[in-house]
Amino acid sequence: MTEPKLADEIKKMEYEPLLPIEKKLIGWSLCLGVVLIVVLVWVSHTFFEVQ
Amino acid sequence: MTRKIQEKLSEDWLAVIIGLFIFGLAWGVFFGADLLGWVVTAGIWTSITNTLKPVSPDFAGLPGLVSLLATYLFLLLVMTIGAVLLKANLRKFAVSFTVVFFISYLCWILGAWAYIAATTNQLGKFGISWSLNLTSEAGYIIALLVGLFISNFAPRLARSISEAVRPELYIKAAIVMLGGYLGITAAEQLGLATSVMFRGFCAIIEAYLIYWALVYFIARKYFKFSREWAVPLASGISICGVSAAIATGSAIKARPVVPIMVSSLVVIFAVVELLFLPFLAQKFLANEPMVAGAWMGLAVKTDGAAVASGAITESLILAKAAAEQGINYQPGWIMATTTTVKVFIDVFIAIWAFILAWIWSAKIERRTDETVHLGQIWQRFPKFILGYMATFFVVILVAVLAPEVVGRAKTAMGEANVFRGIFFVMTFFTIGVVSNFRTLWEEGIGKLALVYVICLFGFIIWIGAFISWLFFHGVRPPLAG
Repeated sequence: MTEPKLADEIKKMEYEPLLPIEKKLIGWSLCLGVVLIVVLVWVSHTFFEVQ
Repeated sequence: MTRKIQEKLSEDWLAVIIGLFIFGLAWGVFFGADLLGWVVTAGIWTSITNTLKPVSPDFAGLPGLVSLLATYLFLLLVMTIGAVLLKANLRKFAVSFTVVFFISYLCWILGAWAYIAATTNQLGKFGISWSLNLTSEAGYIIALLVGLFISNFAPRLARSISEAVRPELYIKAAIVMLGGYLGITAAEQLGLATSVMFRGFCAIIEAYLIYWALVYFIARKYFKFSREWAVPLASGISICGVSAAIATGSAIKARPVVPIMVSSLVVIFAVVELLFLPFLAQKFLANEPMVAGAWMGLAVKTDGAAVASGAITESLILAKAAAEQGINYQPGWIMATTTTVKVFIDVFIAIWAFILAWIWSAKIERRTDETVHLGQIWQRFPKFILGYMATFFVVILVAVLAPEVVGRAKTAMGEANVFRGIFFVMTFFTIGVVSNFRTLWEEGIGKLALVYVICLFGFIIWIGAFISWLFFHGVRPPLAG
Protein backbone atom coordinates (compact mmCIF):
# COMPACT_ATOMS: atom_id res chain seq x y z
CA MET A 1 0.00 0.00 0.00
CA THR A 2 1.41 3.42 -0.95
CA GLU A 3 1.46 6.19 1.61
CA PRO A 4 -0.96 9.04 0.91
CA LYS A 5 0.65 12.16 -0.53
CA LEU A 6 0.05 15.51 1.03
CA ALA A 7 -0.85 17.20 -2.26
CA ASP A 8 -3.41 14.47 -3.08
CA GLU A 9 -4.97 14.70 0.36
CA ILE A 10 -5.32 18.47 0.06
CA LYS A 11 -6.84 18.15 -3.43
CA LYS A 12 -9.41 15.70 -2.06
CA MET A 13 -10.50 18.18 0.57
CA GLU A 14 -14.11 19.31 0.22
CA TYR A 15 -15.32 22.83 0.89
CA GLU A 16 -17.12 23.23 4.20
CA PRO A 17 -18.62 26.63 4.95
CA LEU A 18 -17.98 28.16 8.37
CA LEU A 19 -20.78 27.10 10.69
CA PRO A 20 -22.31 29.55 13.18
CA ILE A 21 -20.85 27.48 16.03
CA GLU A 22 -17.36 27.85 14.56
CA LYS A 23 -17.84 31.61 14.22
CA LYS A 24 -18.99 31.62 17.83
CA LEU A 25 -15.92 29.67 18.93
CA ILE A 26 -13.60 32.07 17.10
CA GLY A 27 -15.43 35.15 18.32
CA TRP A 28 -15.62 34.07 21.96
CA SER A 29 -12.03 32.96 21.97
CA LEU A 30 -10.76 36.29 20.61
CA CYS A 31 -13.02 38.42 22.83
CA LEU A 32 -12.07 36.44 25.91
CA GLY A 33 -8.42 36.77 24.92
CA VAL A 34 -8.64 40.54 24.64
CA VAL A 35 -10.59 40.97 27.90
CA LEU A 36 -8.25 38.65 29.77
CA ILE A 37 -5.19 40.54 28.55
CA VAL A 38 -6.34 43.56 30.53
CA VAL A 39 -7.31 41.51 33.60
CA LEU A 40 -4.20 39.32 33.68
CA VAL A 41 -1.77 42.16 33.05
CA TRP A 42 -3.37 44.04 35.94
CA VAL A 43 -3.26 40.98 38.23
CA SER A 44 0.35 40.15 37.40
CA HIS A 45 1.53 43.73 37.86
CA THR A 46 -0.48 44.18 41.06
CA PHE A 47 -0.09 40.88 42.87
CA PHE A 48 3.07 39.49 41.29
CA GLU A 49 5.17 42.62 41.23
CA VAL A 50 8.86 42.00 40.64
CA GLN A 51 11.30 44.03 42.72
CA MET B 1 5.54 -8.69 33.68
CA THR B 2 7.89 -7.15 31.11
CA ARG B 3 5.20 -7.59 28.48
CA LYS B 4 2.68 -5.82 30.70
CA ILE B 5 5.06 -2.92 31.21
CA GLN B 6 5.75 -2.81 27.49
CA GLU B 7 2.07 -2.62 26.72
CA LYS B 8 1.56 0.34 28.99
CA LEU B 9 4.76 2.27 28.47
CA SER B 10 4.74 5.20 26.11
CA GLU B 11 7.71 7.31 25.07
CA ASP B 12 6.27 9.93 27.40
CA TRP B 13 6.49 7.72 30.48
CA LEU B 14 9.87 6.39 29.42
CA ALA B 15 11.19 9.95 29.31
CA VAL B 16 9.94 10.42 32.88
CA ILE B 17 11.66 7.22 34.02
CA ILE B 18 14.99 8.10 32.37
CA GLY B 19 14.88 11.68 33.64
CA LEU B 20 14.01 10.65 37.19
CA PHE B 21 16.63 7.90 37.16
CA ILE B 22 19.43 10.35 36.33
CA PHE B 23 17.95 12.92 38.70
CA GLY B 24 17.89 10.25 41.44
CA LEU B 25 21.51 9.23 40.85
CA ALA B 26 22.56 12.87 41.15
CA TRP B 27 21.38 12.87 44.79
CA GLY B 28 24.19 10.46 45.60
CA VAL B 29 26.31 13.47 46.62
CA PHE B 30 24.06 13.82 49.66
CA PHE B 31 25.19 10.42 50.86
CA GLY B 32 28.86 10.85 50.10
CA ALA B 33 28.66 8.98 46.79
CA ASP B 34 29.36 11.09 43.73
CA LEU B 35 27.57 8.74 41.33
CA LEU B 36 27.58 11.02 38.29
CA GLY B 37 30.81 12.96 38.76
CA TRP B 38 32.47 11.10 35.89
CA VAL B 39 30.11 12.44 33.21
CA VAL B 40 31.97 14.27 30.46
CA THR B 41 31.88 18.02 29.86
CA ALA B 42 33.43 19.96 27.00
CA GLY B 43 34.87 23.35 27.87
CA ILE B 44 35.73 26.07 25.36
CA TRP B 45 39.02 25.07 23.75
CA THR B 46 41.84 26.24 21.57
CA SER B 47 43.60 22.89 21.74
CA ILE B 48 41.21 19.98 21.36
CA THR B 49 43.21 17.78 23.72
CA ASN B 50 42.15 19.99 26.63
CA THR B 51 38.44 20.22 26.08
CA LEU B 52 37.06 17.03 27.63
CA LYS B 53 36.99 16.46 31.36
CA PRO B 54 34.74 14.94 34.01
CA VAL B 55 32.27 17.34 35.62
CA SER B 56 33.32 16.69 39.23
CA PRO B 57 36.72 17.56 40.75
CA ASP B 58 36.44 14.19 42.56
CA PHE B 59 37.19 12.59 39.18
CA ALA B 60 39.88 15.06 38.11
CA GLY B 61 42.30 12.18 37.50
CA LEU B 62 40.04 10.60 34.91
CA PRO B 63 41.21 11.30 31.32
CA GLY B 64 38.66 13.17 29.21
CA LEU B 65 38.34 10.40 26.65
CA VAL B 66 37.65 7.82 29.35
CA SER B 67 35.03 10.14 30.77
CA LEU B 68 33.45 10.41 27.30
CA LEU B 69 33.50 6.65 26.87
CA ALA B 70 31.97 6.11 30.32
CA THR B 71 29.23 8.62 29.50
CA TYR B 72 28.51 6.86 26.23
CA LEU B 73 28.39 3.39 27.82
CA PHE B 74 26.13 4.60 30.63
CA LEU B 75 23.71 6.24 28.22
CA LEU B 76 23.84 3.29 25.86
CA LEU B 77 22.82 1.01 28.74
CA VAL B 78 20.05 3.30 29.97
CA MET B 79 18.67 3.98 26.51
CA THR B 80 18.87 0.35 25.44
CA ILE B 81 16.83 -0.68 28.46
CA GLY B 82 14.41 2.02 27.37
CA ALA B 83 14.42 0.58 23.86
CA VAL B 84 13.50 -2.84 25.28
CA LEU B 85 10.50 -1.27 26.98
CA LEU B 86 9.51 0.46 23.74
CA LYS B 87 9.85 -2.82 21.85
CA ALA B 88 12.47 -1.34 19.53
CA ASN B 89 14.88 -3.49 17.54
CA LEU B 90 17.68 -3.75 20.11
CA ARG B 91 20.68 -4.36 17.88
CA LYS B 92 19.60 -1.68 15.47
CA PHE B 93 18.88 0.69 18.33
CA ALA B 94 22.29 0.18 19.96
CA VAL B 95 24.13 0.82 16.68
CA SER B 96 21.94 3.79 15.79
CA PHE B 97 22.25 5.28 19.26
CA THR B 98 26.03 5.00 19.05
CA VAL B 99 26.00 7.00 15.81
CA VAL B 100 23.56 9.55 17.23
CA PHE B 101 25.57 9.98 20.43
CA PHE B 102 28.98 10.39 18.83
CA ILE B 103 27.91 12.67 15.98
CA SER B 104 25.98 14.80 18.46
CA TYR B 105 28.86 15.00 20.90
CA LEU B 106 31.37 15.77 18.15
CA CYS B 107 29.15 18.69 17.15
CA TRP B 108 29.07 19.77 20.77
CA ILE B 109 32.87 19.67 20.96
CA LEU B 110 33.19 21.57 17.68
CA GLY B 111 30.76 24.20 18.95
CA ALA B 112 33.05 24.74 21.95
CA TRP B 113 36.00 25.73 19.73
CA ALA B 114 37.13 29.12 20.98
CA TYR B 115 36.90 30.71 17.52
CA ILE B 116 33.23 29.77 17.46
CA ALA B 117 32.22 29.93 21.10
CA ALA B 118 34.33 32.52 22.93
CA THR B 119 32.49 35.71 23.78
CA THR B 120 34.12 39.11 23.35
CA ASN B 121 35.17 39.28 27.00
CA GLN B 122 36.81 35.85 26.75
CA LEU B 123 39.08 36.53 23.76
CA GLY B 124 42.06 37.51 25.94
CA LYS B 125 41.62 34.45 28.14
CA PHE B 126 41.97 32.17 25.11
CA GLY B 127 44.65 34.27 23.42
CA ILE B 128 42.67 34.80 20.21
CA SER B 129 41.84 38.01 18.38
CA TRP B 130 38.38 37.12 17.01
CA SER B 131 35.54 34.67 17.39
CA LEU B 132 32.01 34.18 16.12
CA ASN B 133 30.85 35.00 19.64
CA LEU B 134 28.25 32.23 19.58
CA THR B 135 28.93 30.78 23.07
CA SER B 136 29.38 27.04 23.60
CA GLU B 137 25.69 26.50 22.83
CA ALA B 138 26.80 26.87 19.18
CA GLY B 139 27.19 23.09 19.38
CA TYR B 140 23.40 22.83 19.26
CA ILE B 141 23.23 24.77 15.99
CA ILE B 142 26.03 22.68 14.51
CA ALA B 143 24.27 19.47 15.53
CA LEU B 144 21.07 20.72 13.92
CA LEU B 145 22.86 21.63 10.68
CA VAL B 146 24.67 18.28 10.56
CA GLY B 147 21.34 16.50 11.14
CA LEU B 148 19.72 18.55 8.36
CA PHE B 149 22.59 17.71 6.03
CA ILE B 150 22.23 14.00 6.73
CA SER B 151 18.47 14.09 6.32
CA ASN B 152 18.55 15.95 3.01
CA PHE B 153 21.78 14.77 1.41
CA ALA B 154 22.42 11.36 2.98
CA PRO B 155 18.90 9.96 3.40
CA ARG B 156 20.18 6.38 3.50
CA LEU B 157 22.26 7.16 6.57
CA ALA B 158 19.24 8.94 8.09
CA ARG B 159 17.09 5.85 7.50
CA SER B 160 19.75 3.51 8.86
CA ILE B 161 19.85 5.29 12.24
CA SER B 162 16.12 5.93 12.46
CA GLU B 163 15.68 3.52 15.40
CA ALA B 164 17.49 5.97 17.70
CA VAL B 165 16.29 9.16 16.03
CA ARG B 166 13.81 10.07 18.74
CA PRO B 167 13.91 13.83 19.35
CA GLU B 168 10.73 13.78 21.44
CA LEU B 169 12.12 11.16 23.81
CA TYR B 170 15.43 12.99 24.23
CA ILE B 171 13.88 16.38 24.84
CA LYS B 172 11.27 15.07 27.26
CA ALA B 173 13.90 13.25 29.32
CA ALA B 174 16.00 16.42 29.22
CA ILE B 175 13.09 18.53 30.42
CA VAL B 176 12.56 16.20 33.40
CA MET B 177 16.24 16.66 34.35
CA LEU B 178 16.01 20.38 33.67
CA GLY B 179 13.32 20.65 36.36
CA GLY B 180 15.87 19.99 39.10
CA TYR B 181 18.35 22.51 37.74
CA LEU B 182 15.70 25.19 37.36
CA GLY B 183 14.33 24.26 40.79
CA ILE B 184 17.62 25.06 42.50
CA THR B 185 17.86 28.30 40.51
CA ALA B 186 14.30 29.24 41.51
CA ALA B 187 14.78 28.26 45.17
CA GLU B 188 17.21 31.13 45.65
CA GLN B 189 14.68 33.68 44.35
CA LEU B 190 11.29 32.24 45.20
CA GLY B 191 9.44 35.54 44.76
CA LEU B 192 10.81 35.98 41.26
CA ALA B 193 10.16 32.32 40.41
CA THR B 194 6.52 32.60 41.51
CA SER B 195 6.12 35.73 39.47
CA VAL B 196 7.67 34.10 36.40
CA MET B 197 5.34 31.11 36.77
CA PHE B 198 2.22 33.23 37.11
CA ARG B 199 3.17 35.49 34.22
CA GLY B 200 4.02 32.46 32.09
CA PHE B 201 0.61 31.03 32.87
CA CYS B 202 -1.07 34.30 31.84
CA ALA B 203 0.95 34.50 28.63
CA ILE B 204 -0.12 31.07 27.47
CA ILE B 205 -3.80 31.67 28.19
CA GLU B 206 -3.55 34.66 25.91
CA ALA B 207 -1.63 32.73 23.30
CA TYR B 208 -4.20 29.93 23.19
CA LEU B 209 -7.20 32.19 22.96
CA ILE B 210 -5.79 34.56 20.36
CA TYR B 211 -3.47 32.41 18.26
CA TRP B 212 -5.70 29.41 17.79
CA ALA B 213 -8.80 31.35 16.87
CA LEU B 214 -6.96 33.54 14.37
CA VAL B 215 -5.18 30.68 12.62
CA TYR B 216 -8.32 28.58 12.52
CA PHE B 217 -10.27 31.49 11.05
CA ILE B 218 -7.64 32.21 8.37
CA ALA B 219 -7.29 28.54 7.43
CA ARG B 220 -11.06 28.09 7.14
CA LYS B 221 -12.12 31.42 5.67
CA TYR B 222 -9.31 32.33 3.28
CA PHE B 223 -7.63 29.02 2.49
CA LYS B 224 -10.83 26.99 2.49
CA PHE B 225 -9.39 24.20 4.60
CA SER B 226 -11.88 21.69 5.91
CA ARG B 227 -12.41 21.41 9.64
CA GLU B 228 -10.44 18.17 9.70
CA TRP B 229 -7.39 20.03 8.38
CA ALA B 230 -7.95 23.41 9.99
CA VAL B 231 -8.02 22.12 13.59
CA PRO B 232 -4.65 20.31 13.62
CA LEU B 233 -3.17 23.07 11.49
CA ALA B 234 -4.32 25.80 13.88
CA SER B 235 -3.07 23.81 16.85
CA GLY B 236 0.23 22.95 15.20
CA ILE B 237 1.00 26.48 14.09
CA SER B 238 -0.35 28.30 17.07
CA ILE B 239 0.09 26.16 20.14
CA CYS B 240 2.73 23.54 20.47
CA GLY B 241 3.43 21.89 17.19
CA VAL B 242 3.41 18.16 16.96
CA SER B 243 1.74 17.16 20.22
CA ALA B 244 -1.00 19.77 19.87
CA ALA B 245 -1.70 18.83 16.24
CA ILE B 246 -2.01 15.16 17.16
CA ALA B 247 -4.02 15.68 20.34
CA THR B 248 -6.54 18.08 18.84
CA GLY B 249 -6.66 16.10 15.59
CA SER B 250 -7.69 13.02 17.47
CA ALA B 251 -10.09 15.08 19.61
CA ILE B 252 -12.14 15.96 16.54
CA LYS B 253 -11.67 12.47 15.07
CA ALA B 254 -9.54 13.61 12.13
CA ARG B 255 -7.93 10.82 10.14
CA PRO B 256 -4.47 10.12 11.67
CA VAL B 257 -2.78 11.03 8.39
CA VAL B 258 -3.87 14.67 8.74
CA PRO B 259 -2.11 15.62 12.00
CA ILE B 260 0.90 13.57 10.95
CA MET B 261 1.26 15.58 7.75
CA VAL B 262 0.78 18.82 9.65
CA SER B 263 3.39 17.67 12.16
CA SER B 264 6.04 17.19 9.50
CA LEU B 265 5.52 20.78 8.47
CA VAL B 266 5.64 21.94 12.08
CA VAL B 267 9.05 20.35 12.60
CA ILE B 268 10.47 21.96 9.46
CA PHE B 269 9.33 25.42 10.47
CA ALA B 270 10.49 24.91 14.05
CA VAL B 271 13.95 24.33 12.61
CA VAL B 272 13.72 27.57 10.64
CA GLU B 273 12.61 29.46 13.75
CA LEU B 274 15.32 27.86 15.83
CA LEU B 275 17.96 29.07 13.42
CA PHE B 276 17.05 32.73 13.49
CA LEU B 277 14.75 33.70 16.40
CA PRO B 278 17.41 33.42 19.16
CA PHE B 279 19.65 35.77 17.18
CA LEU B 280 16.76 38.18 16.66
CA ALA B 281 16.10 38.03 20.40
CA GLN B 282 19.74 38.77 21.14
CA LYS B 283 19.71 41.71 18.74
CA PHE B 284 16.51 43.37 19.93
CA LEU B 285 15.71 42.01 23.39
CA ALA B 286 19.06 41.93 25.16
CA ASN B 287 17.70 44.56 27.58
CA GLU B 288 14.60 42.46 28.27
CA PRO B 289 16.03 38.96 28.81
CA MET B 290 12.87 37.43 30.28
CA VAL B 291 10.74 38.80 27.45
CA ALA B 292 13.13 37.03 25.08
CA GLY B 293 12.78 33.77 27.05
CA ALA B 294 8.99 33.90 27.07
CA TRP B 295 8.97 34.79 23.39
CA MET B 296 10.91 31.63 22.52
CA GLY B 297 8.35 29.57 24.46
CA LEU B 298 5.42 31.21 22.69
CA ALA B 299 6.81 31.47 19.18
CA VAL B 300 8.92 28.36 18.60
CA LYS B 301 6.85 25.23 18.08
CA THR B 302 7.61 21.74 19.44
CA ASP B 303 9.03 21.19 22.92
CA GLY B 304 12.49 20.40 21.70
CA ALA B 305 12.96 23.41 19.49
CA ALA B 306 11.37 25.78 21.98
CA VAL B 307 13.33 24.82 25.07
CA ALA B 308 16.47 24.54 23.00
CA SER B 309 15.95 27.97 21.51
CA GLY B 310 15.53 29.23 25.08
CA ALA B 311 18.92 27.75 25.92
CA ILE B 312 20.58 29.40 22.92
CA THR B 313 18.83 32.72 23.55
CA GLU B 314 19.99 32.64 27.15
CA SER B 315 23.58 32.10 26.30
CA LEU B 316 23.54 34.71 23.50
CA ILE B 317 21.91 37.34 25.71
CA LEU B 318 24.09 36.61 28.75
CA ALA B 319 27.17 36.92 26.54
CA LYS B 320 25.98 40.20 25.03
CA ALA B 321 25.01 41.68 28.39
CA ALA B 322 28.38 40.76 29.86
CA ALA B 323 30.40 42.03 26.91
CA GLU B 324 28.55 45.25 26.16
CA GLN B 325 27.04 46.34 29.46
CA GLY B 326 29.24 44.55 31.97
CA ILE B 327 26.11 42.92 33.46
CA ASN B 328 26.45 39.31 34.53
CA TYR B 329 23.01 37.79 34.83
CA GLN B 330 22.55 34.53 36.68
CA PRO B 331 22.23 31.69 34.16
CA GLY B 332 19.09 29.60 34.13
CA TRP B 333 16.39 32.27 34.34
CA ILE B 334 15.84 32.92 30.65
CA MET B 335 15.70 29.21 29.89
CA ALA B 336 13.43 28.78 32.94
CA THR B 337 11.03 31.33 31.49
CA THR B 338 10.95 29.53 28.13
CA THR B 339 10.44 26.19 29.86
CA THR B 340 7.71 27.51 32.16
CA VAL B 341 5.79 28.89 29.19
CA LYS B 342 6.26 25.67 27.25
CA VAL B 343 5.23 23.45 30.16
CA PHE B 344 2.01 25.42 30.71
CA ILE B 345 1.32 25.21 26.98
CA ASP B 346 1.71 21.44 27.13
CA VAL B 347 -0.58 21.18 30.14
CA PHE B 348 -3.23 23.15 28.32
CA ILE B 349 -3.08 21.01 25.18
CA ALA B 350 -5.07 18.37 27.01
CA ILE B 351 -7.65 20.91 28.17
CA TRP B 352 -7.94 22.51 24.74
CA ALA B 353 -8.30 19.11 23.09
CA PHE B 354 -11.07 18.32 25.58
CA ILE B 355 -12.90 21.56 24.79
CA LEU B 356 -12.66 20.89 21.04
CA ALA B 357 -13.74 17.27 21.51
CA TRP B 358 -16.84 18.46 23.32
CA ILE B 359 -17.70 21.16 20.76
CA TRP B 360 -17.21 18.75 17.84
CA SER B 361 -19.11 15.96 19.49
CA ALA B 362 -22.04 17.96 20.83
CA LYS B 363 -22.35 20.89 18.44
CA ILE B 364 -20.69 20.27 15.10
CA GLU B 365 -20.98 16.58 14.31
CA ARG B 366 -23.67 15.97 16.91
CA ARG B 367 -22.45 12.48 17.75
CA THR B 368 -25.05 10.91 19.98
CA ASP B 369 -23.28 7.58 20.33
CA GLU B 370 -20.45 8.88 22.48
CA THR B 371 -19.82 11.12 25.43
CA VAL B 372 -16.80 13.25 26.07
CA HIS B 373 -15.56 12.65 29.58
CA LEU B 374 -13.01 14.39 31.76
CA GLY B 375 -10.79 11.29 31.76
CA GLN B 376 -9.78 12.30 28.24
CA ILE B 377 -7.86 15.24 29.71
CA TRP B 378 -5.71 12.78 31.62
CA GLN B 379 -5.33 10.52 28.58
CA ARG B 380 -3.97 13.40 26.52
CA PHE B 381 -1.97 14.98 29.33
CA PRO B 382 1.75 14.95 28.44
CA LYS B 383 3.11 12.78 31.23
CA PHE B 384 6.69 14.06 31.11
CA ILE B 385 5.35 17.31 32.58
CA LEU B 386 4.76 15.33 35.80
CA GLY B 387 8.44 14.40 35.84
CA TYR B 388 9.42 18.02 35.29
CA MET B 389 7.15 19.20 38.10
CA ALA B 390 8.41 16.47 40.42
CA THR B 391 12.09 17.35 39.98
CA PHE B 392 11.36 21.09 40.11
CA PHE B 393 9.31 21.01 43.30
CA VAL B 394 11.38 18.35 45.10
CA VAL B 395 14.47 20.53 44.76
CA ILE B 396 12.63 23.68 45.84
CA LEU B 397 11.19 21.83 48.83
CA VAL B 398 14.60 20.52 49.88
CA ALA B 399 16.16 23.96 49.48
CA VAL B 400 13.43 25.65 51.51
CA LEU B 401 13.26 23.05 54.29
CA ALA B 402 17.01 22.55 54.59
CA PRO B 403 18.83 25.67 53.34
CA GLU B 404 22.13 24.26 54.63
CA VAL B 405 22.15 21.62 51.87
CA VAL B 406 21.65 24.04 48.98
CA GLY B 407 25.35 23.81 48.08
CA ARG B 408 25.19 20.03 47.72
CA ALA B 409 21.88 20.26 45.85
CA LYS B 410 23.56 22.65 43.41
CA THR B 411 26.38 20.17 42.83
CA ALA B 412 23.88 17.35 42.31
CA MET B 413 21.71 19.32 39.90
CA GLY B 414 24.81 20.59 38.09
CA GLU B 415 25.80 16.99 37.38
CA ALA B 416 22.32 16.02 36.21
CA ASN B 417 22.33 19.17 34.10
CA VAL B 418 25.35 17.92 32.16
CA PHE B 419 23.22 14.97 31.06
CA ARG B 420 20.49 17.44 30.19
CA GLY B 421 22.95 19.18 27.86
CA ILE B 422 23.84 15.88 26.18
CA PHE B 423 20.16 15.05 25.67
CA PHE B 424 19.66 18.53 24.26
CA VAL B 425 22.41 18.15 21.69
CA MET B 426 21.02 14.74 20.67
CA THR B 427 17.62 16.42 20.34
CA PHE B 428 19.04 19.05 18.00
CA PHE B 429 20.82 16.48 15.89
CA THR B 430 17.79 14.22 15.60
CA ILE B 431 15.42 17.13 14.87
CA GLY B 432 17.70 17.82 11.91
CA VAL B 433 17.64 14.18 10.87
CA VAL B 434 13.83 14.05 10.77
CA SER B 435 13.55 17.32 8.85
CA ASN B 436 13.58 16.30 5.24
CA PHE B 437 12.77 19.45 3.27
CA ARG B 438 13.15 17.62 -0.01
CA THR B 439 10.53 14.93 0.66
CA LEU B 440 8.07 17.45 1.95
CA TRP B 441 8.59 19.66 -1.10
CA GLU B 442 8.13 16.67 -3.43
CA GLU B 443 4.90 15.79 -1.61
CA GLY B 444 3.47 19.20 -2.46
CA ILE B 445 3.37 21.21 0.74
CA GLY B 446 2.47 24.41 -1.18
CA LYS B 447 -0.90 25.46 0.22
CA LEU B 448 -0.26 24.10 3.69
CA ALA B 449 3.13 25.79 3.87
CA LEU B 450 1.66 29.06 2.65
CA VAL B 451 -0.90 29.26 5.44
CA TYR B 452 1.84 28.27 7.87
CA VAL B 453 4.21 30.98 6.66
CA ILE B 454 1.52 33.66 6.63
CA CYS B 455 0.29 32.85 10.12
CA LEU B 456 3.63 32.14 11.74
CA PHE B 457 5.63 35.00 10.33
CA GLY B 458 2.65 37.27 9.76
CA PHE B 459 1.36 37.45 13.31
CA ILE B 460 2.14 34.53 15.63
CA ILE B 461 5.75 35.49 16.17
CA TRP B 462 4.87 39.16 16.66
CA ILE B 463 1.81 38.63 18.85
CA GLY B 464 4.00 36.26 20.87
CA ALA B 465 6.59 39.01 21.25
CA PHE B 466 3.87 41.47 22.30
CA ILE B 467 2.32 39.11 24.86
CA SER B 468 5.77 38.29 26.23
CA TRP B 469 6.54 41.98 26.53
CA LEU B 470 3.23 42.67 28.27
CA PHE B 471 3.86 40.11 30.97
CA PHE B 472 7.63 40.10 31.30
CA HIS B 473 8.93 43.57 30.54
CA GLY B 474 10.94 44.96 33.39
CA VAL B 475 11.46 41.49 34.88
CA ARG B 476 15.17 40.73 34.90
CA PRO B 477 17.18 37.73 36.07
CA PRO B 478 19.12 38.21 39.30
CA LEU B 479 22.76 39.17 38.95
CA ALA B 480 25.31 36.38 39.19
CA GLY B 481 27.26 36.09 42.39
